[in-house]
Amino acid sequence: MIKAKRMAFLFALVALAAAPLVTAQVGYSQRAKAIGMHLKCMCKGCDMSAGGCAHPGGAFSGPCDTAKAMLKEVDAHLAKGESEQQIIDAFVAEYGTVVYVEPPKKGFGLVAWLMPVFYSVVGFGLVIFVVRKWAIRPHGAGAVAAGSAGHNEAMDRARAQAARETED
Amino acid sequence: MDVFGSFSLLLAFVCAVYAVIGGIFAIRTRHPLLIKSTRQAGIATCVLIFLATISLEYLLFTDNFSLAYVVSHSNRDLSAFYKVAALWAGQEGSLLFWSTLLSVYVLSVLIAYRHKNGELMPYVGVILAGVQLFFLTLNNFVENPFKTLGVMNASGVLEPFTRMDGNGLNPLLQYPEMVIHPPNLYSGYTGFTIPFAFALAALLARYPGEKWIHLTRKWTMVAWCFQSLGILLGAHWAYAVLGWGGYWGWDPVENASLLPWLTGTAFLHSVMMQEKRGMMKVWNVWLVFCTFLLCILGTFLTRSGVVSSVHAFANSHIGPWFVGFMMVILLVCFVAYFKNRDYLKSENMLDSMVSRESSFLFNNLLFLVACIAVLSGTLFPVFSEWFTSNRISVGAPFFNKVMIPIGLAILFLTGVGPLLAWRKTSADSLKRNFGWPLLVGVISAVLAFVMGYRDGAAMLCLFLCGFVTWTIVLEFYRGAKVISARTGMSKMMSAHELAMRNTRRYGGYVVHFGMVLIFIGLAGAAFNTEAQKAMSIGDALKLGPYTLVLQSADTKAEKNYTAQRMIVEVLKGNKQIMMLYPEKRQFQGNEQAAGTMVAIYSTLREDLYVVYAGMDPEANVPVIHAFLNPLVKWIWLGGVWVVMGTLLALMPNRRAGLVLAGAPQPSTVPGEAVLHTQNIALREGHD
Repeated sequence: MIKAKRMAFLFALVALAAAPLVTAQVGYSQRAKAIGMHLKCMCKGCDMSAGGCAHPGGAFSGPCDTAKAMLKEVDAHLAKGESEQQIIDAFVAEYGTVVYVEPPKKGFGLVAWLMPVFYSVVGFGLVIFVVRKWAIRPHGAGAVAAGSAGHNEAMDRARAQAARETED
Repeated sequence: MDVFGSFSLLLAFVCAVYAVIGGIFAIRTRHPLLIKSTRQAGIATCVLIFLATISLEYLLFTDNFSLAYVVSHSNRDLSAFYKVAALWAGQEGSLLFWSTLLSVYVLSVLIAYRHKNGELMPYVGVILAGVQLFFLTLNNFVENPFKTLGVMNASGVLEPFTRMDGNGLNPLLQYPEMVIHPPNLYSGYTGFTIPFAFALAALLARYPGEKWIHLTRKWTMVAWCFQSLGILLGAHWAYAVLGWGGYWGWDPVENASLLPWLTGTAFLHSVMMQEKRGMMKVWNVWLVFCTFLLCILGTFLTRSGVVSSVHAFANSHIGPWFVGFMMVILLVCFVAYFKNRDYLKSENMLDSMVSRESSFLFNNLLFLVACIAVLSGTLFPVFSEWFTSNRISVGAPFFNKVMIPIGLAILFLTGVGPLLAWRKTSADSLKRNFGWPLLVGVISAVLAFVMGYRDGAAMLCLFLCGFVTWTIVLEFYRGAKVISARTGMSKMMSAHELAMRNTRRYGGYVVHFGMVLIFIGLAGAAFNTEAQKAMSIGDALKLGPYTLVLQSADTKAEKNYTAQRMIVEVLKGNKQIMMLYPEKRQFQGNEQAAGTMVAIYSTLREDLYVVYAGMDPEANVPVIHAFLNPLVKWIWLGGVWVVMGTLLALMPNRRAGLVLAGAPQPSTVPGEAVLHTQNIALREGHD
């Protein structure tokens, strides 16, 4: 099998040398590739964008046939004078929301964008709250923090026990 | 040998059961003989797991194609080098590999502490054996790597069957880095089990919060170092083999490896709060619990075949086992915490919002936000399907947009944090410490602009890189100046001496510098360009300052594959720079898949990354895909610094007295030396 492929490849190389002036193009426009970066390759094998599909492990290092067909479809939409958003919407209508490379900033997709903002704001507020709480306590507040003198004794006992039972 | 391996695994399972159940009794009864026997059962478990792994490797090396695992992941012509890697190529083997690496840690702990920490070790032993037991259950009863092939005869009886040859190793794994990347990453994942076990054990034994930190400091750093190296090697493999021009695609597996790294890094910082100021004890315990849980989640996502689709989570037959295990861990952690949380109370307070303490809090906040953002982004497709019945994909552009601001904020804190004093920092000290670094930052940004790197985020990143670098330089310079004044050594020797006296602190700075280099490399991604062309012999492709000329092509036949190789001449202006040889490999036994060998001309300024994509199906000519990726080399250099810094931090501190004894007193500017000596003495007290 490999030998046959090797022969075919050598044959192709001979053909190349005989026709050095032939220069093929990749079959889709740069604009289609740029829009394809916002569309997921639907081959279900590479999990990359159609514009950036390198199809790792495939016989051809991207775009795979599916991605290439999608990019040609983008070109067809462009020829009709459609905008980038219209083209993306047309693909969503065809394949569903799974074709998005990044969630849309509308509907449920907006949640994905808002979540990190929400964590950051809540976390930031929490840190400010904690630092202020720590900062307003009086100096030498160990006793206050530990709760009571009784608790401190318990901690001291636990510490002594830990020291007895471990060595490092 | 397959029976031997299978039996070793079963015996290891029995020993682990004994180590857990006997260990619980040993804790309750404190019977010395029972404690000793359960520890020995723990050691036996590790040894038996090693024997099982050795038998699987033996079966791979001897081409035993009666074993299903060997058939699926090896073939006769596979080189010995990759037969080692076949151990973790499939799910069954990789789960065994997890157990093996965990056993290395467990055995080290059990032997190193056999005469130490008498009361704590039974708890640690039970927890470690519990984790081993989970993986041994999978190894024995769910994903056994020693299953043999069978064929049904005419009378309906299953007979052993041996194949002539195997299917071979996945071509994507037949690359040298794949032999070292997974062991590193797995050593990171498994290594975090040790701080987890000690944290939980100390909580169960009602030790005050600081004890376990003290015991596991170095284990945590080792795990973190392996995890960092594993992630970087994975990124390098993706860059050099997948042929897509990038190194990080934010796919679920990559994200899974990043999650415990983020919480682990947060922990390495917040642990200092506990050591120096007795604060954040609860937080640290939960950070370690979460890091371990994320390691388990990461292992599951990586090895369960759910790579391409997180939704397959529910369909994978090992999924429920992992979910169950994580639930059990969470339950145990909650119970232990709520029962003994009084032993984790904080004791110290701070005086100002502007202090080292608050910078650590913000550091932890940012790492946690980064972790949750990556986790929620990774799982968002599943959430969207649950809530709306429509699956919404989340790819690299989303993660880039969310993570760039968080990354830059972390980088900012990398520079600011170490220069703030504990408890309170005065405005005067802020001015003194930050003036020069800010200036260097501005110069870096201006230089970037002049050199053509004109992108807002990238320039901000390079500004921060300059800023952080100078804060690190200042830290070394000030310390070295004091030592130099006291000992008469040169500044360079003094800086070395300084680092050796407080390895953890200065090792940390070296790691920070490594991260700066990595960030410089990441900033370069804003300026990537590419070109693709179907080319005949003699054709040229222009990309940036380079011209690629396809000179010729050939094939080479190796034992396990045949490569189609393009010979590409690289010109810069009219000057020949070098020849590049990108190739496409067709492996035996894997006719459907092919391997890509990217050819890279790498300089500090940029990488010229050339891929032979394959033959154009329409024109039947080779397609060359070239990328110009600025500054990528800085990422790999940064990785080297990160590892060196961690190794430095792991070294014991050298005692100052050894050097200072007999050192000549400087005759010049004594006042300054005294002033700085006081300063350094104060600073060396905390890192």
